[in-house]
Amino acid sequence: MKIAVQLFGPLAEKAGRSTIEVTTSGNTVADVVAALSFKLDRSVRYAVNTDYAEASAIVREGDTVSLIPPVGGG
Amino acid sequence: MYKVTTEVLSIDDAYAAVRRDDCGAVALFIGTVRDHHDGKKVTKISYSAFKEMAEKEFAKIGAECAARWKTGAVYIAHRTGPLLIGDASVMIAVSSAHRAEAFEACRHAIEALKKLAPIWKEEFYDTGKAWISG
Repeated sequence: MKIAVQLFGPLAEKAGRSTIEVTTSGNTVADVVAALSFKLDRSVRYAVNTDYAEASAIVREGDTVSLIPPVGGG
Repeated sequence: MYKVTTEVLSIDDAYAAVRRDDCGAVALFIGTVRDHHDGKKVTKISYSAFKEMAEKEFAKIGAECAARWKTGAVYIAHRTGPLLIGDASVMIAVSSAHRAEAFEACRHAIEALKKLAPIWKEEFYDTGKAWISG
């Protein structure tokens, strides 16, 4: 399936874009991340749609996976 | 009550959002843009956010404050876009029946926001820029 991946902050800057579409035959966040063309630092967290999610979380067609690099609000 | 906005944050809005007749205390926290970081002179900061998720995280933090400290109301607003020295980047207001709960919940809210809200800070210096976390 095809999944939209959103990038933010330093990750978006590095990639030069804020969304990427990946194709995976798997169905977890880890599968989506593995299908990316670049490696992620361990400090990056994930979200499925608008909630934090573990790497083992299930992803369905139409979901958006977001890569959340270390945050700096405040 | 919970918002990420490019507009200037208003203390009056924050106060009006939480003031209640059954609450005798309102605690207000404002984070402002500081002119230095690690010995470097800061010229401006740019904040970006995953707005929908950040607002949802703010609401979760507010619900946690209500459950733990029986707060009357919680207001959390964060500004995004380019900010200059002295600008308010975040505003949190908490009301409760008595002052101890308002102070504690307000402190909790800013600490939780800093850990959980999907918001990113890019600091600009005379000599370059950096993404700042934590």
